[in-house]
Amino acid sequence: MKIREVLAVLIIIGIITLVGNFVGANIPMIDAIPGMIFLIAISILGVIFAKVIPVRIPAVAYIVTIGCIVTIPGFPGATIFNNWAQKVNFLALTTPILAYAGISIGKDLGVLKKTGWRILIVSFVVFIGTYIGSTIIAQIVLKFIGEI
Amino acid sequence: MIEAIKNWKLHVLVLILVIVAEWIGAFSFPIGPGKVVLLPMLYALIMGIFSGPKFLKLANHKDMIDAGSLIGVTLMLLMAKYGTTVGPNIPMILRTSPALILQEFGNLGTVIIGVPVAVYLGLRRETIGAAHSIAREPNVALIGDIYGLDTPEGQGVMGVYICGTVFGTIFFGLMATFTAALGIFHPLALAMASGVGSASMMTASVGALSAMFPEIADKIQALGAASNMLSGLDGVYMSLWMALPMTEWLYRKFYKMKYGTYPSQSAVREG
Repeated sequence: MKIREVLAVLIIIGIITLVGNFVGANIPMIDAIPGMIFLIAISILGVIFAKVIPVRIPAVAYIVTIGCIVTIPGFPGATIFNNWAQKVNFLALTTPILAYAGISIGKDLGVLKKTGWRILIVSFVVFIGTYIGSTIIAQIVLKFIGEI
Repeated sequence: MIEAIKNWKLHVLVLILVIVAEWIGAFSFPIGPGKVVLLPMLYALIMGIFSGPKFLKLANHKDMIDAGSLIGVTLMLLMAKYGTTVGPNIPMILRTSPALILQEFGNLGTVIIGVPVAVYLGLRRETIGAAHSIAREPNVALIGDIYGLDTPEGQGVMGVYICGTVFGTIFFGLMATFTAALGIFHPLALAMASGVGSASMMTASVGALSAMFPEIADKIQALGAASNMLSGLDGVYMSLWMALPMTEWLYRKFYKMKYGTYPSQSAVREG
C-alpha cells in the first residue's frame, strides 16, 4: 500500500463525507474542512507508523491510538483538535463506508446461497448470543461499580 | 488499488448514494417502550447492494471488486474519528474498565446458545466452527490454523463469517435499536456489547444507539470503540483457551442428546 495512494483514497472519501456531512448534519463544508484534514493527517501518520515500526501491528490500531492520545485532556492542542474533530459528524463518516461496502457485497451474495439457510440461522443466533451475553455482563458490572 | 482510485464512476455512484441517503435522513418509529432508528448508513448499504449487476446494473463486476479493495482505507477516517472520541473520554473509560474487560466473556454466550441450535438444525462438525465465536477475521484465522478451512469446521466458520459480512451491519443496527427499545439494559452496557464483532458491526450498533440517546452519544461511541479494540486484542485467546474447548464439550453433549450416541472422533489435524 503506497502512502500516496492511501492519501488519494482518503481525500476522495473526505470530500464525499464533507458533502454528506452538509446534507445530513447541516454542517457547512468550510467549517468541517479543518476537522477532515486533521482526520486524514492522523490516518496517514498511522500508515507511516505501521510501515516504519518493525512490529507487525495494523495501521488502524496506530490510527485509533494516535487519535486518542492527541485528544486526551491536557495534551498540547487537545481542545482545538477535539473541536475540529467534532465538526465532522460520526454518522456522516459511516455512510460512504457502507456505500462502498454495499457495492462490494453484491459479489458475496452468490457464495452465501451455497452455504445454506442453516448456517444463516446459526449466524443470527451467534450474533444475538454474543451481543446479549456481553450486554448482561456489562450491565451487571456497571451497576456493581456504580457507574449506571 | 490504483485502478480503484481511478474508477471515477464508482466514486460518483458512492457520492450519489451518500447524498440520497443523507437527504432521506434518520428515520425513527416507536416500538414498545422505545423507538427503532433507521440510519442513512443502512440506506447507503442497501442501495449499494441493489446497484449491483443482478439488480439495477449501476455497478458492474469491476466496480464491485474496486469498492471491496477500498474498504480497508475508507475505515481509516472512521478509526481516526473513534480515536478522537475515545481520547476526551479516557477518564470515564478507565473508570468503567472492569465492566469493559469482563464483558469480553460475553462471547461465551455464543457457545451456550449457538451449539444447541446448530446441532438441532442437523449440523455436524460444522457446529464447532460456526458456533464457537462471532466469526470475525481472527476467529477464521484460528479455525483455519487448527482444523483447516476446507474441513467441516472451516466451512462452519466461513459460513458465519460471510453471513456476518453480508448481514452483520444491518443485523447489528437493528438488534441494537430493538434491544435498547426494550428498556431493560442501560445504553452504556449496550455500547460495550457493540464492540464484540467487526468494526462495521460496532459502527452500526453504536450509530443506532447514538441516535436514540443523543445526550450520551460521545460516551456510547467511546465505549463501543474501546470494547472493539479490546475484542481485537483478546479475541483469539478467548476463542483458543475458553470458547473452543467449551464448544467441543457442549457439541458432544448435545450430539449424544440428539442422536443417542457420541460423535466419532474428530479429524483434528494437529493435536
